[in-house]
Amino acid sequence: MICRRHPNIAREEHAEKGEEFHEFFLPPFHQAAMAFASIFVPNFMVQAVVRAEPALRERALALVDGNPPLCSVVAVSEKAAHAGIECGITKTNAAQFAGVEIRSRSRPQEKTAHAALLDIGWSISPQIEDTTEDTIVLDLSGLGHLFPAVETIATHLARRSAECGLLPNVAVASNVETALIAARGFTGITVIPPGRESEYLRQLPVGVLFPSAETAETLDRWGIRTCGAFAELPVLQLSERLGQEGVRLHALARGTGSRSLVIAEQESSFEEEMELDDAVEELDPLSFLLGRLLDQLCARLTARSLAAAAIRVRFELQPYFENATDSRKELFRQKHSPGLYESKLELPVPVRNSKMLLKLLRLRLQLKPPAAPIQKIALAAESVRPRAMQSGLFLPRFPEPEKLEITIARIANVVGEGNVGSPSLPNTHRPEEFHMERFLACLEDIETKRPQNDVFRLQKQNKHLKVPASFRAFRPPVPAKLELLAGRPVRVVFQGMRGEVLAASGPWRTSGDWWRENSWQQDEWDLEICFHSPSADRGLYRFYYDALRQGWFVRGIYD
Amino acid sequence: MYIELHARSAFSFLEGSSLPEELIDACAAHNVPAMALLDRDGVYGSPRFHLAANKRNIRAHIGAEVTSTAGWRYPLLVESREGYQNLCRLITQMKLRARKGEGCVRPEEISGMSSGLICLTGGDEGPLAHALAQSGIEMAMECVRQLCRAFGRQNVYVELQRHFCREEEARNQAAVEIARKLKLPLLATNGVSYAQPRQREVLDVFTCLRHHRRLETAGRLLSRNSERHWKPPAEMALLFSDLPEAIVNTEILSARLQFALSDLGYKFPAYPVPDGESQMQFLRRRVHEGMISRYDAHNERARQQIGRELALIEKLDLAGYFLIVWDIIRFCREQNILVQGRGSAANSAVCYALGITAVDPVGMDLLFERFLSEERGEWPDIDLDLPSGDQRERAIQYVYERYGKLGAAMTANVITYRGRSAAREIGKALSFDPETLDRLSSLVGPWEYKDPGDTLDRQFRKAGLDLQHPRVQKFFDLCQAVQDLPRHLGQHSGGMVVCQGQLDSVVPLEPATMPGRVVVQWDKEDCADMGIVKVDLLGLGMMAVLEDSLQIIRKHYGEEIDLGHLPQNDPAVYAALQKADTVGMFQVESRAQMSCLPRLRPKCFYDIVVQVAIIRPGPIVGKMVHPYLQRRQGLEPPECLHPSLEPVLARTLGVPLFQEQLLRMAMIAAGFTGGEAEELRRAMGFKRSEARMKEIEIKLRRGMQAKGITGETQDKIVQSIASFALYGFPESHAASFALIAYASAYLKCRYLAAFTAGMLNNQPMGFYSPATLVKDAQRHGLKCKPIDVTRSDWLCTLEQIPQGLAMRLGMRYVKGLRKEIALEIVRQRDLRKFISIDDLKQRVPEIQKSELAALAEVGALNFVPAKRRFHRRDALWQVERAARRPGPLLEIEETAQESAAVVSPEATINPDGPTASGSPLLPMTAEERLVADFHGTGMTVGPHPMSYRRAEMKSLGIRAAVELATIPDGTLVRVAGAVIARQRPGTAKGFVFLSLEDETGIANVIIMPRLFEREHTVVVHHPFLLIEGRLQNQENVVSVKAESVQPLVITRAEPDSHDFH
Repeated sequence: MICRRHPNIAREEHAEKGEEFHEFFLPPFHQAAMAFASIFVPNFMVQAVVRAEPALRERALALVDGNPPLCSVVAVSEKAAHAGIECGITKTNAAQFAGVEIRSRSRPQEKTAHAALLDIGWSISPQIEDTTEDTIVLDLSGLGHLFPAVETIATHLARRSAECGLLPNVAVASNVETALIAARGFTGITVIPPGRESEYLRQLPVGVLFPSAETAETLDRWGIRTCGAFAELPVLQLSERLGQEGVRLHALARGTGSRSLVIAEQESSFEEEMELDDAVEELDPLSFLLGRLLDQLCARLTARSLAAAAIRVRFELQPYFENATDSRKELFRQKHSPGLYESKLELPVPVRNSKMLLKLLRLRLQLKPPAAPIQKIALAAESVRPRAMQSGLFLPRFPEPEKLEITIARIANVVGEGNVGSPSLPNTHRPEEFHMERFLACLEDIETKRPQNDVFRLQKQNKHLKVPASFRAFRPPVPAKLELLAGRPVRVVFQGMRGEVLAASGPWRTSGDWWRENSWQQDEWDLEICFHSPSADRGLYRFYYDALRQGWFVRGIYD
Repeated sequence: MYIELHARSAFSFLEGSSLPEELIDACAAHNVPAMALLDRDGVYGSPRFHLAANKRNIRAHIGAEVTSTAGWRYPLLVESREGYQNLCRLITQMKLRARKGEGCVRPEEISGMSSGLICLTGGDEGPLAHALAQSGIEMAMECVRQLCRAFGRQNVYVELQRHFCREEEARNQAAVEIARKLKLPLLATNGVSYAQPRQREVLDVFTCLRHHRRLETAGRLLSRNSERHWKPPAEMALLFSDLPEAIVNTEILSARLQFALSDLGYKFPAYPVPDGESQMQFLRRRVHEGMISRYDAHNERARQQIGRELALIEKLDLAGYFLIVWDIIRFCREQNILVQGRGSAANSAVCYALGITAVDPVGMDLLFERFLSEERGEWPDIDLDLPSGDQRERAIQYVYERYGKLGAAMTANVITYRGRSAAREIGKALSFDPETLDRLSSLVGPWEYKDPGDTLDRQFRKAGLDLQHPRVQKFFDLCQAVQDLPRHLGQHSGGMVVCQGQLDSVVPLEPATMPGRVVVQWDKEDCADMGIVKVDLLGLGMMAVLEDSLQIIRKHYGEEIDLGHLPQNDPAVYAALQKADTVGMFQVESRAQMSCLPRLRPKCFYDIVVQVAIIRPGPIVGKMVHPYLQRRQGLEPPECLHPSLEPVLARTLGVPLFQEQLLRMAMIAAGFTGGEAEELRRAMGFKRSEARMKEIEIKLRRGMQAKGITGETQDKIVQSIASFALYGFPESHAASFALIAYASAYLKCRYLAAFTAGMLNNQPMGFYSPATLVKDAQRHGLKCKPIDVTRSDWLCTLEQIPQGLAMRLGMRYVKGLRKEIALEIVRQRDLRKFISIDDLKQRVPEIQKSELAALAEVGALNFVPAKRRFHRRDALWQVERAARRPGPLLEIEETAQESAAVVSPEATINPDGPTASGSPLLPMTAEERLVADFHGTGMTVGPHPMSYRRAEMKSLGIRAAVELATIPDGTLVRVAGAVIARQRPGTAKGFVFLSLEDETGIANVIIMPRLFEREHTVVVHHPFLLIEGRLQNQENVVSVKAESVQPLVITRAEPDSHDFH
């Protein structure tokens, strides 16, 4: 449930607002043997978005997800549901409902909302379980000295959540399962005293126990609709019919869970940040700071026996001022979010060598420098298990992947990032199309991935065909002017050179990708040209007419 | 002049994207005199190609691309009839030994059957390209030499194609070199795959479908460019300006190709007759025998008519055909399979005498020319109705056996891309997600009536697809472009063609998906167009019902009913018809029929014939229903369109109701001969012949002018003929159906239990769901008993009860229960009674838990323990335990217990195990039972859901269906019930008709288009409705004209509604 007014912190306030506050007579907290609190955030996706934009709380809100143009609604607020919007309808359909706000689902906001949920838990107890994205469970044992009663903790958790922009259900019970079930089943705050779990859960629908589809179907056939009805079934006979799942669910329905918490590691993400008093502009001082952060990051990774698969760099840049004169920077600002620089360094193998990471980062920054002085640095490592590999004794030595990566980064620095790697031909008729792929470690892979080229095959098999030995492509193609006679080229002009066409072969016509916006349609000609120069140079060139751009170009020359 | 001699149509199934007619249109647009069609591994599109070409005076050359075992395709052109026969045999051979859609020929087969065929060296997929790519020019030359050896030097042409592609040009150079060296002629073709360049997109999509790829991932499988379209001669001449002989040779070769499809050489098989007797003599004897038994020996009219018919049959040499159909009838009679001829055959006294049809055409004064005429020059069409299912299959297999595998085959049914299939497949190729495609498919309206605004683009918008988006726009355009293109070849449900032993030399044969079936490559229409005789062996659900009912009557009533000699004019039948109490009766049960019956008030058999024919789109669109009913009730005088037509129209009070009448009208008013009149009917009824229809209309008007019929009268006659021709029933056909309608009505009125069981055992069929049939039978006093594993069979059966006979529902109605399991239950039960559910599970070990649970849920296991009745939840409780196999140790223990129980059935062991004495579960409430019944069987034999709420309904002022007849016309009433049928007929201008069922009967509701538009969701989706509106009682036809519609919550159970008829 979302967009409701959450029960206030104090019991009296709950009563004033007529909202639910389930309470039983409780023994003094320090006497209670065990207690667990579960926090469940209903309609989590919507709450995550509303948290960042509180004005939406009073509006009918629908969240969409998917690749445009096929976005569909994945979550709706209570008001939107009342308006008749259902999950699964398309964005276009949802837009037809008046007064409904449509937003995209935000995974980053869900992630931060989840992080906030964990923070709420950790603010009370170090012993928490990260059950699901929208649910956590806290072990409250040992907190008797800090809080007078468990209800105070529940209230405290609800208040903290409200401060973090979340409106959860909070349930406290003597075991984990009951706390989880109660948080899912009851809205607001629920405190179940030990020994009365069964009594309390009996009114909840049996679905809160999350039975398997098959069991749910059987229970439905049996007419078992509530946990109470389920709990009354004889357990022995139940076990004969529903097996271990039935016994487990039966125990849950009676509120007699016994599982222990799976304690969440507090440091699950590896991020380091640094705010700078004075913005840094030069690479060297920046490298010094980056080095420090990378050292910390690598130390943490090492301590956890992990390594980095990628490093995300995020700089907050100093805002531009009106007196900025560099037009290039202005353009930069228009294109990207103001004052942010982000880059991701993908690593070919897991790395935790901070010096190597620093070298790579420096090369990246040289290649793609930030557009303004930096005032905040954030580094995050995507952690994976480190590489464990033993080379064959008699195999030739390959360069160490780490060193190779640095070398490639250096080359990229010179020739441009997209121009390093192994060229590969994509599966298309589009002329001269190729991709640059990262170097592959294994030669066999390269062999198998190389596409079969019909021309080469034909050339190999048909020796009588006089296909020139090689072709040098002009990248990008050179614009040209051609004079045609009866549809065939007779004269050409390009790059300031003029020539007569001695022989022409073509047109070789291709077109495709008609379902995309970047379709193509070209007529190629192979032309033997005699240039108007004192030496009357001759050459064999490939020209093409781009029908969509309506222009002639030189694709390259046959050597 | 260039002539295209290598083209594929969409009948190459996903390898071409134009219809044959479109290719011919392209030729016609440029005055090209000929073209050849070479579809892949077949001549599927050739009849349409041939017909379209004939119309435009273009020569249609026939051929095919035949796949070889080596992977290439021989492009073969047919030069002579022998060549055509060889091609058909070659394709048949390769097809029959492979799986459906596959097959290839071996080189040795080619050489044996190459006579009369011309082989081209092919394009990308031809033998030359294949050899060049594999082994170079020397081997390519050797390959061409081999072709010369197989086909003869003079019959091999070196083919050149130019699609502006380097590799292809390199191949062309090699081909020219080979041709020069071997002194073979060059031939330019364009390897056409579509008529227009824009159709390349469809071909690309088809390529994706063929390779199960998406456009994004198909890569080089897609076309390189759009050059495979039909090109005009000037363009081709320019393209081959360096090799003019390649162009000239196309004309020379075209002149060589003398074969046309009109020269098929088809012969109908001769019927084997005793020595010394001709087929005609044999037929005369059979007809004479039949005439004596069917007619009074002194019936002069019949004798003369039969004499006339036999003379014509002899003249047209059709004796064999009649004998073959008679032979099928004879087989069915011997095997006790009900069979009856329908359609125009019922116009023939010879057919009546031979027992093919059951209607006396002489007594009913039917028009023989509707069936057979000299002018028409085509085979007569005899359709036989057989009980659907196994019986029909036996008759089909008999024809196969009798004429051999290569002498008889089913006609094909070309499945084309329609709204849903097109959207789904194209969407897949364009990478749209399945959910969107599901949504789009579900929006393609199933109503017969198409809202003018219910267009494809509206469906796209409703599915949430934005047509402004280029990709969605492309999706939409492609969906429209593929409409009606062939998708694959299916099998026609009953059309069989037979030939004089050599059907495979007339048209290639293919294996059907169904084992033991062979299909020709042409559909029914194509076969008719090509003059191949066919017999339709159609499955008719009601024939199966009648047959089953007769068996049940024999078993339980001890009576033998002969459908040929049912008591005529049974008062109960006519009383039921006049009251429109016709649920389940053949042809007269629909809502439209029911609303007409009380006005027509049938009193004799001919009235039923009229009743069957009148509720058809023809009379409805032609606005003939109302005048007929008015005249019949004496509210207006009968009036003929013209005095000369009185003899024809007098019987139907001046209103033309049957096709024969329009034929006779044309004959009398415009002086048409019988054949010309029949041609008129075909022209008007046949979509492909609009131009012909115009011609005939001119002829019709000219004829009437000559007879002095002019002005308004002439217009009226033309209009009534035009509106009627397409949809009207022939009188003979209506009479055949009326016979079945009478039989079904008779059985329902006199043997309700047997008829209901027969109906329920042959579902799905008819207008109403099984739930409605059961409720109707119950209202007529039949006791229906629930499914019970201790008594029910797979089918519904009858049981003797003190009050008479009751019907026991069969286990076929338990959703999810397999037939073999039900049969095993019955077998085991017959051996020994089940003593517990565990016992049942142990003795029918293949039964799955879901099946046991389904049985328990509908109460079918309640009766298993003989001494103590379970309730359904008890059974469900036991089922869960029985379905879980115990461990080996316990299993031994349990087996021992069961054995003890078997040895001593009276022993006092607890059959359900040591702990189970009943269950801790509460019995189902009435509502829960209702939900379980509808969920598990789709019906209930208990009270109607509405009956539980009758008191509440009364307090809301809601009338029961039965009360409506007593309420004055115009009263504002409220009715409520379960929606059992929703209709939006094409002829009703957007009106929706609902049938609401309650425990007392069925109420008819009319919803105006505007109300429907407003309450669309409620009307379409809610199972129970409350309607408020004005009662209309016009001549005992009672309906409620809705003013408001509200959903009603009666139960969670959801009765089925038969919608969209």
